[in-house]
Amino acid sequence: MIFHIGYLILVTATVLAAFGMIAGFVGGRQRNVKLTLSSYHAVYAMAGLVALAAAILWYALLTDRFEVAYVWNHSERALPVFYKFSALWGGQAGSLLFWLLILSGFSVAAAFFNRRRHWAIMPYVNAVMLGTSLFFAVLLVFAANPFELASFVPQDGMGLNPLLQNYWMVLHPVMLYIGYVGLAVPFAFAVGALLSKRLDNQWVRTVRRWTLIPWMFLSAGILMGSQWAYMELGWGGYWAWDPVENASFLPWLTATAFLHSIVVQEQRGILKVWNAALIWMTYFLVILGTFTTRSGVLESVHSFARSDVGPFFLVFMVIILFGFLWLLFKRLPLLRDEQAIESYTSREAAFMANNWLFAGIAFATLWGTFFPMFSEILTGDRISVAAPFFNKVNGPLFLLLILLMGAAPLLGWRRTSRQAFRKQFTWPLLVGAVTGVAIWLLYDAGYPAIGLAACAFAAATIVQEYVRGVQARRITSGESVPAAMGNLWRRNGRRYGGYLVHLGIVLIAAAVIGNEFFQQNTNVTLANGESVTLGRYEIAYTGLEPNRKVNHVEYGARLMIFDQESGKTLGSILPRRNIYDKTPEQPTSEVGLRMTLIEDTYVVLNGWETGGSTATFTMYINPLTAWMWIGGLVLVLGTLIASWPHPGRRRSEAADSVAYAVGSAGD
Amino acid sequence: MIKSRTNQIAIVLLVFLAAFVWLGAGPISAQDAPTAEPAGEVTLNDVNEVARDLWCPLCSGVRLDACELKACDQMKDVIAIKLAEGEDAASIKDYFIEQYGPQVLGEPPREGFNWLAWILPFVALALGGVFLWRQTARMMQPAEEMSAADPGSPPPGAEKQAEDDYARKLDEELAKYG
Amino acid sequence: MADLSDIRSETQDAPNTPDAQAPAPAPGMVVVWRAIFVGILLLFVVLLAWRLWDTNRSEHRASGMAPPFTFTTFEGETISLDDLQGQGVVVNFWASWCDPCRDEAALLEQAWRREKDNGIVFIGLDYLDQEPAAKAYLAEFGITYPNGPDLRSEAARRYGIKGVPETFFINSAGEIAQTVIGPIVNEAQMESYLAEIRP
Repeated sequence: MIFHIGYLILVTATVLAAFGMIAGFVGGRQRNVKLTLSSYHAVYAMAGLVALAAAILWYALLTDRFEVAYVWNHSERALPVFYKFSALWGGQAGSLLFWLLILSGFSVAAAFFNRRRHWAIMPYVNAVMLGTSLFFAVLLVFAANPFELASFVPQDGMGLNPLLQNYWMVLHPVMLYIGYVGLAVPFAFAVGALLSKRLDNQWVRTVRRWTLIPWMFLSAGILMGSQWAYMELGWGGYWAWDPVENASFLPWLTATAFLHSIVVQEQRGILKVWNAALIWMTYFLVILGTFTTRSGVLESVHSFARSDVGPFFLVFMVIILFGFLWLLFKRLPLLRDEQAIESYTSREAAFMANNWLFAGIAFATLWGTFFPMFSEILTGDRISVAAPFFNKVNGPLFLLLILLMGAAPLLGWRRTSRQAFRKQFTWPLLVGAVTGVAIWLLYDAGYPAIGLAACAFAAATIVQEYVRGVQARRITSGESVPAAMGNLWRRNGRRYGGYLVHLGIVLIAAAVIGNEFFQQNTNVTLANGESVTLGRYEIAYTGLEPNRKVNHVEYGARLMIFDQESGKTLGSILPRRNIYDKTPEQPTSEVGLRMTLIEDTYVVLNGWETGGSTATFTMYINPLTAWMWIGGLVLVLGTLIASWPHPGRRRSEAADSVAYAVGSAGD
Repeated sequence: MIKSRTNQIAIVLLVFLAAFVWLGAGPISAQDAPTAEPAGEVTLNDVNEVARDLWCPLCSGVRLDACELKACDQMKDVIAIKLAEGEDAASIKDYFIEQYGPQVLGEPPREGFNWLAWILPFVALALGGVFLWRQTARMMQPAEEMSAADPGSPPPGAEKQAEDDYARKLDEELAKYG
Repeated sequence: MADLSDIRSETQDAPNTPDAQAPAPAPGMVVVWRAIFVGILLLFVVLLAWRLWDTNRSEHRASGMAPPFTFTTFEGETISLDDLQGQGVVVNFWASWCDPCRDEAALLEQAWRREKDNGIVFIGLDYLDQEPAAKAYLAEFGITYPNGPDLRSEAARRYGIKGVPETFFINSAGEIAQTVIGPIVNEAQMESYLAEIRP
């Protein structure tokens, strides 16, 4: 009964979203206060209905109501409560509902925080958000009903995919969805600004923060996904350029480009059309990514089971693509550049180069991801496009990007004088060159030397900027170094937070280079008590430890790690295999990991003789990997600093709206 | 600025040339290239050295050395046999392409239509670069050519009045409903 | 990325749009470029749609007339389906790494020995497999009917198989009479299918 109500709620939500969307568009166009208000109320009510539907599905999952087909297929009695909770996004229909839930959350946030601002734009923002909600609600009602009932009441569920039973896998999709879905907000603002012709800097400023926050979640989600792949999939890597991974990476690329080019628009009033196009592409790539992972058009290990959602997505994509394009063409006359670019050696030129590279990488990634499809349609041959292709094509582009990242902050707006050029570039270039030569001499490896030199150059730029900023504060106000640093972040968060984000990216890049070029690995079968030498370590196998868990058995192989030279014990690790009761033919792997700042010792248990008298391992030494996760933390911290409301700015925004209210009241 | 356009285009071309050289060379591994097999024993490490460049044909996006399917183990067995017979990595790769088609490569084979996969990203980047360059060059023209005022913009008068009315009403209503 | 506070605050007025950029491109060219851009997007969507349709279609296995194929057996003999016109053909897709295939291997061989003089040919197509392992498998079950690798999975794709084992029973007119997904478990089942294709 309650599940029928759940379905009914979804149907109601569909109707409501349709109504709210129309109310928003019409209300915005006719400046009709009642309809505009209706669109706000529809946003709030929609969120309530969706939350209720999600609550019902959660209830079904947590109370083992296997008569619901979704619960039957994605849960089981013995599943730990934590994973029952996360099973909501473990399958097709549930994850679509989860998408909708997050989207509703963002709609409410966007409507609520801007209810006193952007009065001309907001009805359209509500309409676009509700339009997207409408699409997902239609999917749930017509193609993927999470409340569908089985024809009988099964005794137990089929269990959650074992690969998903990992805490990273619980957290990572949530982060990714928040980032992914949140990118609908800037799109809604762009549509609103274009429709209402309010194309000044107001919406641009608002939209920057609404992009920055989803961007942060998307970045964190991507990194957590890498972490999961690194710990669970056991092939010694963290990123495989799989279509589903690319699906999350593509909007990240265009959103990053947007976050940069929007600064140029703010400062110089140029690139307006390009910015609108970037938001549009980002949103389109979000929907395209959701489509590809759910329709089976591309093969991937991470795909959902095939279902009938494909045609709906196609229609929606056509609407997004051509609807927005039509609007953009119509508004082109209002999007003229206000100022000119004056020099190639200016900050705005560097930003344009940045966008050029990001767009290039995004295109190459999109092209490579879909190339197997084109190739099969046109030649009939099945090919796979994986890491070798993407590394070769995107590798050099990323190198250029890092160089640019080092150079851009050193350039001034408008133009850079020769004198400033020398003053700015000397130290960073020197640091980069020294690093490159040192690595080349030490390891006799050309590509990593170039890559790490670029990283060092970019890092040196950031350090130099910080040193100058702190010095300036100390001279003017005599603050201590930490206080000066804090004030830089507080008062100039956009700039200095942005540098922190750059630093995070540099650290991640260094980790990637270390892994790509200096990884060592070996395959061994060890008898109990035997050991093997790998890199600077001696690794000894000391026996198998089985361990019964609720819904699976854990087999761990104890390994002791010694320093090869001194013989000192460095630690012990326990690579494991989990054999699940429901899916014994699909064992999962937990790698044994000893992480240090220099390198990770990473061991996969491949198999063992009965009782563990011998066991087979794949062992890797992964240099610098820890810096990928540290870089991720730095990136998140930097984003938070960059998006934190500026004390002075908040006041001025408040003042703005007061002035506006007074002004309009006085009219 | 524009007079030096040819120079600039030459630089762009150079960058792409460098990119193609990179493509041709392929990234090197810090480890030594697959060791030439003396007649001795073939270890699992030797097999995986070859398997690292192959992709499991049954899975999607799983490298052969990391694949745990029985079918993959059999492929590795064949690699071991062929290595013991003295074949080198390239001819083993060719054998698998013959057997399973180009999907074992993990990248488009550089032939026929599939060349497009490699070329188009760089062509698109180059076209984008040229477009950007021209746009920038146009914007860099002397500033006096750009007049400040826009005769075409709508006059603020009556429309603004209506908009302000609407804004005030909306504010009032919103205040009522919260 | 200087701070916001030092940017001039803008009014709520409609944007101040300066004059057109000096040498604007000819309007004709703009239309052409727009058309090209829209055309590429359209092409992309059409390809996606086509692929989606094709993916759903290839969900279905071959039916009606049996798709032709040619293969070379492990012994080096080349066999083409076209050459077998007028006979009943049993095409079995298998692989040595496939455990369920083992359940039907003996039964297939048994049936072949009984039927080979009744105008029925058995063919084994080895799917994504390796010769040493495959030969060991054939020896293990003493299989004597023609078997060979399905190179580049060409036959497998034409027949639209989803896994192994799958078996297609083709009658003397070249039509697929029966399709069995998974192993053929008992003699009665085998007998009823063979009866349909006996010439």
